Amino acid sequence: MEAIVVEGLRKQFDPPKGPVAVDTVSFQIGEGEIFSLLGPNGAGKTTTISILSCLLRPDGGDARVGGFSVTREPEKVKALIGVVPQDIALYEDMSGRENLLFWGRMYGMSGAALNKRVDEVLELIGLVDRQKDRVDKYSGGMKRRVNIGAALLHNPRFLYFDEPTVGIDPQSRRSILDGVKDLNASGVTVLYTTHYMEEAQELSHRIGIMDKGAMIATGTQDELVRLVGERTRIDLTLDREAETLAARWRELPGVSSVSAPDDGSMWLSVQDANVLMPKLFDGARAVGARIIEISLAEPNLEMVFLHLTGRALRD
Amino acid sequence: MRHAWHITAKELLQNRRDGLAALFTLVLPVIFTVFLGIIFGGIESSTLPLAIADADGSAAAQQLVQQLEESPLLELEVAEPGDIDKDVRDQKVAGGLVIPAGFGAALDEGRPISLTYIRVETSSGAQSVWQAVEVVVSRSNARLLAARAAAEQVSIKTGRPLDDALLASAASVTDAQLAAPAITVEMTDSGSSSATMAAGFDQSSSGSMVNWVLFSLLGIAAGVVWERRRGLLQRLSIAGVKGREIVGGKMLAMVIITFLQQLLLVLVGQLVFGVDYFNSPLALLLTMVSLSMLAASFGLLISAVFRSEQAVIATTVISAQLLAALGGAWFPLEITGASFSRAAHFLPSAWVMDSLHGIILRDWGLTRVLYPMGIVWIWIAALFVLAVWRFRPD
Ligand SMILES: Nc1ncnc2c1ncn2[C@@H]1O[C@H](COP(=O)(O)OP(=O)(O)OP(=O)(O)O)[C@@H](O)[C@H]1O
Ligand SMILES: [Mg+2]
Repeated sequence: MEAIVVEGLRKQFDPPKGPVAVDTVSFQIGEGEIFSLLGPNGAGKTTTISILSCLLRPDGGDARVGGFSVTREPEKVKALIGVVPQDIALYEDMSGRENLLFWGRMYGMSGAALNKRVDEVLELIGLVDRQKDRVDKYSGGMKRRVNIGAALLHNPRFLYFDEPTVGIDPQSRRSILDGVKDLNASGVTVLYTTHYMEEAQELSHRIGIMDKGAMIATGTQDELVRLVGERTRIDLTLDREAETLAARWRELPGVSSVSAPDDGSMWLSVQDANVLMPKLFDGARAVGARIIEISLAEPNLEMVFLHLTGRALRD
Repeated sequence: MRHAWHITAKELLQNRRDGLAALFTLVLPVIFTVFLGIIFGGIESSTLPLAIADADGSAAAQQLVQQLEESPLLELEVAEPGDIDKDVRDQKVAGGLVIPAGFGAALDEGRPISLTYIRVETSSGAQSVWQAVEVVVSRSNARLLAARAAAEQVSIKTGRPLDDALLASAASVTDAQLAAPAITVEMTDSGSSSATMAAGFDQSSSGSMVNWVLFSLLGIAAGVVWERRRGLLQRLSIAGVKGREIVGGKMLAMVIITFLQQLLLVLVGQLVFGVDYFNSPLALLLTMVSLSMLAASFGLLISAVFRSEQAVIATTVISAQLLAALGGAWFPLEITGASFSRAAHFLPSAWVMDSLHGIILRDWGLTRVLYPMGIVWIWIAALFVLAVWRFRPD
């Protein structure tokens, strides 16, 4: 059963000259699914979430959340959703607990039930010890966790997370990803946006890849990877900067794409790895570089993005 | 509307924590009231110092000194005849007066005698002092003349010799007559609002109140813009909170805060500076609440219309200053012309100042302030409706 149905959404800021942030985007999310919107900066992820939160009115198209239209029944939609905004939206001069109490009241909760729920959420986000400290005294990761907690208080059926792991340490990120999975396991349908391929891969049942306002592909990870065709990924590391080598390898027959080198590490999308590998070693020797690590793997979402757009996901 | 209460409570909590806000809402206004009160007070309580040297020491000389002392314009400083020149030259006093030896004897014998007045020609106070001295001296002359004329008439009609005893009794009769003079000039209010002008702490206390409550516009408007930029208003909107609940909740909080601010200024004004606020508590209460509502609704409208922080700060600062200055919070409108004052009464702040001055200076009761406050409430209603209508979370 489809819990969220998005049909032909379109939004242009400051028309007629402003950017078309979302351009005829359609997708569906099944009840109980985790659906990720994967895309680089400016792809239109936040704009899509804002429309699905009834904050922005689309110029065209519509979306139904739990059967209600975001344009015609915003009050009904708002009652079903919890939204974790990309930028931390908390009162920094109040404590973590005071923030949760306030947001709970905004969701119509009160009294003992509210207090109990705030205790539960503090437990969930691991902030019981620091609950009485002001938010402006928290670390970035702790703020992010309160930002999430404030969206969970009213036990929403649908949760939107807009890049909830930006700018935090690996440990906090791990606990957030695990938290999202736990919430989903308890029956919550999740819409998750990120520009980290690894997060989309780990979390999602289905993924939508966005770029420049358009949805360029949707499907499960397997379905998306198949878009690249029968190809293999070669991961390798060189002992030096490899810009020129990457350019040379791109010209080789049988190589469909080469990632931008990152500290000497790169990957290639190739048709037949066994035929190609000797040529790679020859090429490296010709420019005086050495391959110090090499392995074969399945294609990943990064390759899909590169395949579809000709650009890397992270620029 | 339950949301609005919780938003009010949250705003009050945040304000309690904010030390800078306390400085601006409570401490600075009191300091400014004192400061401005001293400036305005200086105009009112100006007395002119006059050095006086009595080289005669007779009863008549002492009587003249006493009469000069009673003049409300003069402040006497007794000096030695030799020092007076120097005191005047050093501008320690505005002028000097010497009562020469033989003053009393000359009067007794009916001989004319002159006093010496010393001044520095360029001193601005010297002329005023001269006039004040002249008033006292000519009153003395009139009194002596009347007494002597009366005594001479009695002597001629009754054949009684014109001796000291007769002169003394005639003098006491004229004194009694002059105590209830035939012609007096009495000052009364004409009934128009400009009859009595507020001065000293009456002006500075009420003016500060209006000025600082209007200054709170900045806090209100900047607060909303900040919440909008941080995504807090969007978050409220996603939670299903209505624009009118956000505006209403914030408005109530600001009204409470600025009302407490006013209460402090009223208490300081009444108890420390003797400003007569408690003439009519109900009229005062209505005026204070109206002023708070006015500032809060205006601040919220500005935050609903403008998006950028700079635009909001510029608009609030300029409009708060204009409302305060042109409304008569910085100087009494009475010192301006009638047409200026009429134009200023387009602004609601002028009506608030009218009401405060009416309460302090003219014993206005509740019914008397209903008219000016009615005008203020028309403004409040219009500003509030516009603010709710224009309010957007993003
Ligand atoms: N309020 C706005 N006014 C004008 N343009 C906007 C506004 N918000 C977003 N845009 C533009 O719309 C496009 C999509 O922005 P959006 O924030 O949806 O991207 P995103 O995928 O969330 O990016 P990021 O990963 O950086 O958060 C961008 O070109 C952006 O500049
Ligand atoms: Mg975004």
